[in-house]
Amino acid sequence: MLKVKSLHKTYQGPDGSFHAVRGVSFEIPQGGFFTLLGPSGCGKTTTLRCIAGLEDADGGSITIGEQLVADPTNGVHMPAFRRNIGMVFQSYAIWPHMDVFSNVAYPLRVARPRPSHDEIETSVMEALKLVGMESLAKRSATKLSGGQQQRIAFARALVRQPQLLLLDEPLSNLDAKLREQMRFELQELVARTGVTTLYVTHDQAEALAMSDQVAVMSGGQIVQSGDPRAVYERPQDAQVADFLGIANFMPGRISALGDSKSLSVKLDGSIGVLRLPDLNSFAPETAVRVVFRPEDVVMRTAAADDTVEGRIERINFQGTVSECHVRAGETLVRMLIHPSVRVQRGDQIWLAVDPTRCVVFPAESVALR
Amino acid sequence: MAGKLILAGAAVVAIYLISVPLIFLLGTAFRGPADFLPFEPGSRWTLDNLWDVYLDPALYRSILPNTAIFAAGSVTITFVIAFTLAWLVERTDLPFRSAIFTAILFPLLVPTVVLAIAWTLLCAPNAGWVNVAIRGLFGVQGPGPINIFTMPGLIICQGIASTPFVFLLLCAALRTMNPSLEEASNTSGASPIVTFFKITLPVLRPGILAPLILATLLTLEQFDLPLIIGFPARVNVFTTRLFFDLNAEDQLPKYGSAAAVALLFLVIAILLLALYNYMVRRAERYVTMTGKGYRPTRLKLGRWRAPALVFVGAYLTFAAVLPALVLLWTSLTGGVTWSEATLSWTAYEKLTSDPRFWKAVVNTFIVAACSAGIATLVGALISWQILRTRFIGRNLLDFISFLSIGIPSVIAGFAVMLLYLSLPIGVYGTIWILVLAYSYRIAVTTRLSRAALMQIHAELEEASSISGAGWLDTIRRIVLPLMTPALLSSFLLLFMVGFREFTIPMMLQSDDNWVLSVVMWRLQNDRQTGEAAAVGTLIVLFVIPIIFLMRRYLLAQQNND
Repeated sequence: MLKVKSLHKTYQGPDGSFHAVRGVSFEIPQGGFFTLLGPSGCGKTTTLRCIAGLEDADGGSITIGEQLVADPTNGVHMPAFRRNIGMVFQSYAIWPHMDVFSNVAYPLRVARPRPSHDEIETSVMEALKLVGMESLAKRSATKLSGGQQQRIAFARALVRQPQLLLLDEPLSNLDAKLREQMRFELQELVARTGVTTLYVTHDQAEALAMSDQVAVMSGGQIVQSGDPRAVYERPQDAQVADFLGIANFMPGRISALGDSKSLSVKLDGSIGVLRLPDLNSFAPETAVRVVFRPEDVVMRTAAADDTVEGRIERINFQGTVSECHVRAGETLVRMLIHPSVRVQRGDQIWLAVDPTRCVVFPAESVALR
Repeated sequence: MAGKLILAGAAVVAIYLISVPLIFLLGTAFRGPADFLPFEPGSRWTLDNLWDVYLDPALYRSILPNTAIFAAGSVTITFVIAFTLAWLVERTDLPFRSAIFTAILFPLLVPTVVLAIAWTLLCAPNAGWVNVAIRGLFGVQGPGPINIFTMPGLIICQGIASTPFVFLLLCAALRTMNPSLEEASNTSGASPIVTFFKITLPVLRPGILAPLILATLLTLEQFDLPLIIGFPARVNVFTTRLFFDLNAEDQLPKYGSAAAVALLFLVIAILLLALYNYMVRRAERYVTMTGKGYRPTRLKLGRWRAPALVFVGAYLTFAAVLPALVLLWTSLTGGVTWSEATLSWTAYEKLTSDPRFWKAVVNTFIVAACSAGIATLVGALISWQILRTRFIGRNLLDFISFLSIGIPSVIAGFAVMLLYLSLPIGVYGTIWILVLAYSYRIAVTTRLSRAALMQIHAELEEASSISGAGWLDTIRRIVLPLMTPALLSSFLLLFMVGFREFTIPMMLQSDDNWVLSVVMWRLQNDRQTGEAAAVGTLIVLFVIPIIFLMRRYLLAQQNND
C-alpha cells in the first residue's frame, strides 16, 4: 500500500545543513499498522512529513497505493493536498474558528467534486459516531478538552476515508491515564476502519502494543524492523536494546564455544560463567557484553553452576513489584523481585539469568554507561 | 512598612500623572467663558462651550469628515502595506528577510516630523525631487504633477509612516499561529489558496483586528503630518483644530472650546480602546496549544520573488532611503535647485554656533531619559502591585494605567497645560512640564513588566521571604534582577518615544523648553530649509545605531530568522 524507497531529506539551516533522513525504506501492506519508533531527533517525524507531502524529500521515492507521490530525481512532488491521506497532528490542530461539525466536514467541503450537503452531513455524523462525539457536533472548537480534541482530529482524518492514515505522536499530549484509554480506542478504531496506518512515536510501549510491524529509527536510518515481539526480544545492537529499555549490560569474554549453536561467556571479575545460544558466531576471547532485562533475572539463595554471585545494594519497593540493585563484580544488575521475598540490603545472593532471553554484543559496540 | 509606602507612592504618582490632568480637562469643558482658564477668577460653570462646539456646522462639515477620511484612508494603506510586508517576511522564502526586518524599523524610530519634512522636500509641487525627476523624464512643465499638499498626499504619507508599528504587531500574530493548523488543512485536501482564505485568515482574524483598531486609535492622535502636510492643504483634522484653537494668530487661546472638542475624541478613543481590549482577549483564546516547534514551512515565492522584492524595495525607498538622502543633500546645499547647488557645511556651522540648538539637544535627552525612567519605575511598581497583592484598588489602578495607551498625546499635552497653568508651582514653560507630560505613558511598562512578572514564579519571592529577607530586600535582590531585561527594553522604548515626541512639546512650547523636533519644525517654518535638514540629518545619524540595538532586543523575542 505504502512504499518508501531510500528516502533522503536534508535541512539547510543557518549553521550548515542537517541530514535528517538518510536512506529510509519500508513498505506497509494494505490494512497494516506500521510504527516508526525512535528518540526525538531520529528522523521519524521528518519521514512522516515527507510521506504527507508537508516536506519535500531530496531523494528516493514514495508510492501511496498505485500513485507515485514523490520522486525528486524525476521531478515528482505531489503537494500534500492532492495526496489521499488523513493525518492526526501532535497538537491536534483543531481550527479554533469552526465548530466541531465544520472541523470534521472540512475535508469534504474542500473536495472536488464537492459531495452534496446530505452526503457531507451523513459522512460527518458517521465519523463523529465512530469516535463517540456525535453529541458535540455543534460545540465551539475552543471549548474542547484534550481528549475531545484528539477524537475530533481522528474523525477529521478519517472522514474522507483516506488510503493512508498518518499519526504523529497523537497520544503524547495526553495525561497518563487518558493516554492508555485512548490507546485502546485508537486500536479499536483502526481495526474497525481497516485503514492502512503509519504511526510515529517515541513510546516503546505504544509501539509494541499497537503495531503489526515496528521499525526502530536512529540517526535518520531504520536500524531494525520487524514483528514487535521479535524486535523486543532480539534487539540487533546495543543501541536498540538500550532504547527498548534493556537495563543490564554485563561485561565478559567468550571462554568456550560449544557446538555451532552455543557459547560460554566468562564474566569479568570471575563472578560466574553463562552458557548462552550463539547467534553471532564470535571468536574465542572476544570481549563482549551480555545484555538482558530486569524481569529475566531470578534470585537464588545458593550457588549453582549457572549462577552469578552478587550482593544486594538497594531495594526499591514499588507496590506490585520491588526493584533490586545487585552489585555483581563491577557491574550493577537491576532485577525485579516479588515484594514478598524477604531480603535486605547487604545480603549475599546468586543470580540466574534465563539464557534464551540474553543477547550478546561485541564490547566495542556498547558505549560506556 | 517602607514597602507599603513605596507602593502607595507609585500608585499615587500613576494616578496623578494620568488622571489629574484629565479631570482638569473635563472641568475646563464645563467652565466659561472659553478664553478663561478653568479656575481663573471670573470663570463659571457653563454649557456654552459644548453648545458652541457641537452646534457649529463646521464641526460636521470639515473636522469630523476630514478626520474620518484621514483615519480610514491611512489605516487602509498602512494595513495593506504592513500585512504584505509581514506575510512576506514571516511566511515566505523572500531573500534578505533579516535585513528587510531591520530596515523597516527605520521609519518607526525616526521622528515623524523628520519624515514629514523630508517628504515635503521630495514631493513639493515646485522643487520636490520626485516632481523635478518626473518633469525631466517626460518633458512636462511644472509645477507638479504630484502635489503632496492634498488630502490624498496626507493619507498616503501617514499610511507609510504608520506601517512599521503595525508590521511588528502583525509579525507577532503570524508567528504565534500554530503551523499545523494550516498543515491539517493541506492534508485534508485543501490547496494553499483555499487554506489561506479558509484557515489562515480566519484564525488570524482577531490577531489582525486588534492591531487594526490600535492603528486607528494612533492615527486619530497623529499631529505631525496633519500640521506639516495637512495645514498647507487646508485639511483640518481634530488634532490640528485643537492646536489652532489654542495657538490662533489673531486671538486668545480658547481653552473651553478646545476642551469640548477634546472630550468627543477622548470618548471615541476610549471606545476604540475597549474594542481593542476585547479583540486581544479573543486573540488569546484563539492561540491553540502548539506542538513542539516545527517551523512553519515558508511558501516558495518562485516567479513572484522579483515582484515581491520590488514591492519591499519601493516601500523602503520611499520610507527610508529617499528621506535620508534628501535631508543629507539639502543640509549640504541649503535647499536650492540642482543647477545652483554647491556642497558646503554652512548649515551645520550656523546650527552648531547657535546656543539654542545645543540647548535643544540637552533638553531632548533630559526629557526623554527622565520621563522614560519615571514611567518605567512607576509602571513596574504598579504592575507588581496589581499581580502580587490583594490591594483593593488594584483593578482601578490597572484600568487607569491601561487607559494611558488611549489618550491622544495632543489631549495629554493640552490637559497638562491646563493643570500647570492653574497650579502655581512654576513648571509651566520649563522642560519639567515636558517630563511630567511624557511620563503618562505607563501602559508600555506595565505591559512589558507584567509579562516579565508572570514568568517569575511567585515562589521565587516567597523563598526569599522564608530565607529571612524583608520586602525591600526581596525586591532588590530577587525581583529587580529578574526583571532587568524587561525594564531595560521598556526604558529603551519609552526613551525613543520621548525622543520622537513632537505633539506634546509643540503644545507646551516656550522659549526655554524647545526640543530637537520643535527646533526642526521652527527652522523649516522660518524657511531656513538647510538648517532644518541638518537637524533632520543629525537625528537620522543618531537613530541608525539605535535601530540595531532595537533589532537585537526584538530578535531575542523572535529567534525566527
